[in-house]
Amino acid sequence: MGTNNKRLKKELMEMQSDPPENCSAGLVGDDIYHWQASIFGPEGTPYAGGIFFLDMKFPTDYPFKAPTIRFTTKIYHPNINSNGSICVDILRSQWSPAITVNKVLLSLSSLMADPNPRDPLVPEIAKLYEHDLAKYNKNAKEWTEKFAR
Amino acid sequence: MKAVLLTGVSFVLTSIVVGNAYYQKKQFYPSVVYITKSNPSMAMLYIQAFVGVILMGKLMRKIFFGQLRAAEMEHLIERSWYAVTETCLAFTVFRDDFSPRFVALFTLLLFLKCFHWLAEDRVDYMERSPVISVKFHIRVLSLLGLLGMLDLYFINDAYYSTLTKGASVQLVFGFEYAVLLTVVWMTLMKYILHSIDLQNENPWENKAVYLLYTELIIGFIKVVLYIVFMAIMIKVHTFPLFAIRPMYLSLRGFKKALHDVIMSRRAIQNMNTLYPDATAEELQAGDNVCIICREDMLATCKKLPCNHIFHTSCLRSWFQRQQTCPTCRMDVLRMTRAEAAAPQQPPQQQQQPQPQQPQVPQMPQNLFQGFPGMPPMWPNMPQQPQAAPGTSGASSTTTSATAMPSSTAGTSTVGATSTQPTPTTTGTTTVPPIVPPMLPFMMPYGSYAMPRPPRNLAGVSAEELRAMEGQERENVEARLQWLQDIQALLDGAMVLINQYNTVATQTGIAGISAASFPLSQNKSDKKEEMKADSSQNSSQHTNTQGPGLQPTDKTDREDQKLDFSGLEGATGFSPAKEETIPAWEDPHEEEHNDEMHEVRKRRLQKFTQENPSGVKTEHKSQD
Repeated sequence: MGTNNKRLKKELMEMQSDPPENCSAGLVGDDIYHWQASIFGPEGTPYAGGIFFLDMKFPTDYPFKAPTIRFTTKIYHPNINSNGSICVDILRSQWSPAITVNKVLLSLSSLMADPNPRDPLVPEIAKLYEHDLAKYNKNAKEWTEKFAR
Repeated sequence: MKAVLLTGVSFVLTSIVVGNAYYQKKQFYPSVVYITKSNPSMAMLYIQAFVGVILMGKLMRKIFFGQLRAAEMEHLIERSWYAVTETCLAFTVFRDDFSPRFVALFTLLLFLKCFHWLAEDRVDYMERSPVISVKFHIRVLSLLGLLGMLDLYFINDAYYSTLTKGASVQLVFGFEYAVLLTVVWMTLMKYILHSIDLQNENPWENKAVYLLYTELIIGFIKVVLYIVFMAIMIKVHTFPLFAIRPMYLSLRGFKKALHDVIMSRRAIQNMNTLYPDATAEELQAGDNVCIICREDMLATCKKLPCNHIFHTSCLRSWFQRQQTCPTCRMDVLRMTRAEAAAPQQPPQQQQQPQPQQPQVPQMPQNLFQGFPGMPPMWPNMPQQPQAAPGTSGASSTTTSATAMPSSTAGTSTVGATSTQPTPTTTGTTTVPPIVPPMLPFMMPYGSYAMPRPPRNLAGVSAEELRAMEGQERENVEARLQWLQDIQALLDGAMVLINQYNTVATQTGIAGISAASFPLSQNKSDKKEEMKADSSQNSSQHTNTQGPGLQPTDKTDREDQKLDFSGLEGATGFSPAKEETIPAWEDPHEEEHNDEMHEVRKRRLQKFTQENPSGVKTEHKSQD
């Protein structure tokens, strides 16, 4: 048994030889379909200074199906719930085989810098983000201090 | 911890109930009778049975699944709530049969349903976690086997019970288990496909196709089952409210599967037939890497209409799932359709039936240069170049004006027929004042190209259908416009025929009856007339005005009276002028009343000034 996904191997090599800014990714064990990634909290956001870990699972027919990605580090964010599930269109309906791990991590990083309160996964945080930004920033900073260091 | 405590309490209470009965009655049989007669004891035993079922479920879960994942648990709870609600609804339908046995059967059904869902989830998970142990295979296979056998057993049971005892609640169970059996089949098929995929070194390209078709077939079976169930239930009992939600879900699932299959087939077919293979230069121009598999593009590659290039095999795999361009997300099917639709437009328009065509055969073609954007209405006059759509009003005026001199009697300006038919030869001089007022009426022609619905709606997506419906108003308006214009042309033809008749009466040629058109004869006559006319110089008969054009015209009337007396016997002649002309007037008069009045006045003036003896000129030309 065992499968061979050339593209995934290629992406892994690229990630390791030429990692993007603020992110890194690698295998968890020796399973090519199970990765762990990390994103550094973007500067200028309440997440700055924190390291957020992600669990990435790829389907066997990757890149035709999106990977399942989950934050393993707790994060205070309107589009990420307490299980770490992420609500982003590119991982659901808007997936395209042109998207790579690199691009996914970059777009997650930009999601952290620029939440989307119109399509929230945690409505309470979205409400706070829209109406009381200072409180949201304070909470997010607290969580970052508490869980992401 | 709480669950354990509750289970313990339930066991303790049960043993107290049983112990108490035995203590009081001392013997087995009397104590059983005592328990069944005592409501509190029975309630306790029911609770105990419920706890037993849960414990049983836990045991089975442990055997077949081990630890449940969070997502599986979430799914299970969500679906259970729906199932419980639906079961309660079912109880209301069968309240007459309500008995402990009945409740037990429903509980068993629910219990088995849960395991079907879990099996489904677990097999779906195979795709996500490709490292599969032997234990997993054994578990899934034995579970699916067990569930399948149980389903079959209960279907069989329900079938014989219905046969022997007539329609009862067993009907519901029969269908429920039949639906569960389709779930088992689907799960098994998925399991087999995933397993084959896992055995292969390289990803299996065709897996998605098989999955699509399996889903389609199973979806179809489910839909049929639900519809049959619905029909039987309505006939035997009452409307099965509890089956609405699952039925709707299965219908939706089937529709989606069907849509997916059709769309992916079409996209792949388009790819194979329509899209060009990428040339070597095109490959060189880009970075030469297929964005899907990140490999160099050396094998056959296809270029999408949006100019993005991919491996054919990669593109096929993607189109099995979605029909968009991987790079720009352009809907491939829509792009292709738009391209294909463009060249089809003109022939469709030519197919439009033109029933009024034979009735105005003598109308020279150049009439229609006055109509900007007139579609090819006269297929028998191909030599006439079509006026380009959107020709400006000014240019149409000039074309009709320049065309005038060469044409004759019948020519008039049909542009004017909608308002005012100028009969017989209208010289260049008479034309300009006629046309300008028409323009507002004629202009819409260009914009009212008749929209044609596609013959086959299968290739139209939901959005496009909606868009078409949205334009319905436009379409209706366009059709109305067409009909009005056709009527105007017909009216013009009628006037011309009348003119001809009056001229004919003077010259002694057989006229035409307005009621029955001897078309061919009429046509040839007209042509003769035309030839004769055009042979003469246009300046010569600038103002030949046939009678009958203006019902209000006095000279005209006099002419007609004269003619009538002399020509009663002429073949085909009928003094119909007075009837036909008013008929022509009414539809448009209302709309363009003011304009028409103006024009008519002006022309009348002109006519009376310039044409004291127009009929005679016309007469000459006939010789």
